Amino acid sequence: MAACERLDGGALRELLARTQGVLFDCDGVLWNGERAVPGAPELLERLGRGGKAALFVSNNSRRSVAELAARFARLGFRGVAAEQLFSSALCAARLLSQRLPRPCPPGAVFVLGGDGLRGELRAAGLRLAGEEPGPVRAVLVGYDEHFSFAKLSEACAHLRDPDCLLVATDVDPWHPLSDGRTTPGTGSLTAAVETASGRRAVVVGKPSTYMFECITEHFGVDPARTLMVGDRLETDILFGHRCGLTTVLTLTGVSRLDQAQAYLAAGQLDLVPHYYVDSIADLIAGLAD
Amino acid sequence: MAEAGGDDGRCVRLSADRAQALLADVDTLLFDCDGVLWRGETAVPGAPEALTALRARGKRLGFVTNNSSKTREAYAEKLKRLGFGGPAGPGAGLEVFGTAYCAALYLRQRLEGGGVPAKAYVLGSPALAAELEAVGIASVGVGPEPLQGAGPGDWLAEPLEPGVGAVVVGFDPHFSYAKLTKAVRYLQQPGCLLVGTNMDNRLPLEGGSYIAGTGCLVRAVEMAAQRQAEIIGKPSRFIFDCVAKEFGLNPDRTVMVGDRLDTDILLGVTCGLKTILTLTGVSSLEDVKGNQQSDCSSRNKMVPDFYVDSIADLIPALED
Repeated sequence: MAACERLDGGALRELLARTQGVLFDCDGVLWNGERAVPGAPELLERLGRGGKAALFVSNNSRRSVAELAARFARLGFRGVAAEQLFSSALCAARLLSQRLPRPCPPGAVFVLGGDGLRGELRAAGLRLAGEEPGPVRAVLVGYDEHFSFAKLSEACAHLRDPDCLLVATDVDPWHPLSDGRTTPGTGSLTAAVETASGRRAVVVGKPSTYMFECITEHFGVDPARTLMVGDRLETDILFGHRCGLTTVLTLTGVSRLDQAQAYLAAGQLDLVPHYYVDSIADLIAGLAD
Repeated sequence: MAEAGGDDGRCVRLSADRAQALLADVDTLLFDCDGVLWRGETAVPGAPEALTALRARGKRLGFVTNNSSKTREAYAEKLKRLGFGGPAGPGAGLEVFGTAYCAALYLRQRLEGGGVPAKAYVLGSPALAAELEAVGIASVGVGPEPLQGAGPGDWLAEPLEPGVGAVVVGFDPHFSYAKLTKAVRYLQQPGCLLVGTNMDNRLPLEGGSYIAGTGCLVRAVEMAAQRQAEIIGKPSRFIFDCVAKEFGLNPDRTVMVGDRLDTDILLGVTCGLKTILTLTGVSSLEDVKGNQQSDCSSRNKMVPDFYVDSIADLIPALED
């Protein structure tokens, strides 16, 4: 049973000894804004040397995988390959490719989102509304700085067709910036579209388990020997529990320890991590030299 | 058409006889407007005659609408123009209770005594701003707001107006990510109120299509700010309390007439009024049946006492 225990000492060493791989969230775990969490690059290096796999699972739908890989490099993380990166943009493209006819009909996907998301969709062979005519067969809600009433109404018009899919990259309500201010998340835009259309979106990102399905298509993962490390209880930790992983909350991001403890006291155990650390650098001590 | 009345005796067709009996015990009728009195710019046939006859019989009329895009005066002008009568001159609008006016009343109550002139950040229409100004609350934010700069860091650095005590979300065709961001920033200031004019999820258009309703915008702000809004319009009691205060109503002798089960009829039931559903708008007898047969007690509430095909059906009961 998850009990939100501090992960250190013997428990840390034993856990890492039997761990084969680690899934990491990115924002608030590896970096905050343009600053790497101190010790995070070293941790990844040590995991690699110890023969443990690292994969990265991010709800951020602004960035294509290429942009995400560039960010790793820029912030001092070496040796991270594109294959290790699972963003909600990439996985949304995968989901839509699976559910729409192949080859994708022209103009099939109406996107509320930016260039990074659109690029990832095109790279998967999807064809976007607004770039060519054609009946829209799916509405994809992502992080959209240019969200407007007009776009909301256009999405609703497409969703009057009950066969038109409604997909959201994630449902995060807000995102923190490095100075503690927040910016509205895809969740707020999805709420608007769901309310007008009367439909529930299929969610790609955590806490939905879809990104885990994408991962296991490419990598053998034994959940009993895999950790999920994240900073947000309602996405990362819930995702980890749903996928049968051992969950570790790091306190360098969104959620606070007292919030985890409140969930524990309230019996909402899906939102309680097995363990917590102040930062992922604390995991280094658990790795054999 | 066959009687619809369910086993519980509700949703009975309001025949002329039943209407006469009902109206004998009623002083005030409250009407929703869209889908009841008119559709778009066209009066429902017979509706103006029905209201003229009600007024002639000494019944008091009130108009209760979730629309936040018109002032009371503008509504009164439309009522007159489409043949529904009503007072003229400075008294025009006194029969009308729209959510722009009632939101202003709510905020005047809540922001009174703050020591500084009250101010609100408004996601809504010029009419909403005008109703707020009329009770002494300045508004900022109406209209488009372009994103400045390159990214979240830039637009979050935009200066905020000092002294904003409330964010008001109404129908806003200029709603955008930038405005949503600004609303959340104001809401993060201590003591800032969050008010939504109404939660209608859609605005039906002619021909069966629709556009997004204010409810969508309220939900987006609630989600981004992780707070619940205080809702002014039907089915919230507040809008009825505004009417009751100004009219001095007896709920037992008041009828609510509307076309939407989840706003008009639910408000009537909640406030102890008699309720009539007209089939000229959103809800159908199928919808009523679904609510009657549902296991969910909140759906069971949304069943009217009576229904009519249109409010013109009241006319035979009013003829001498």
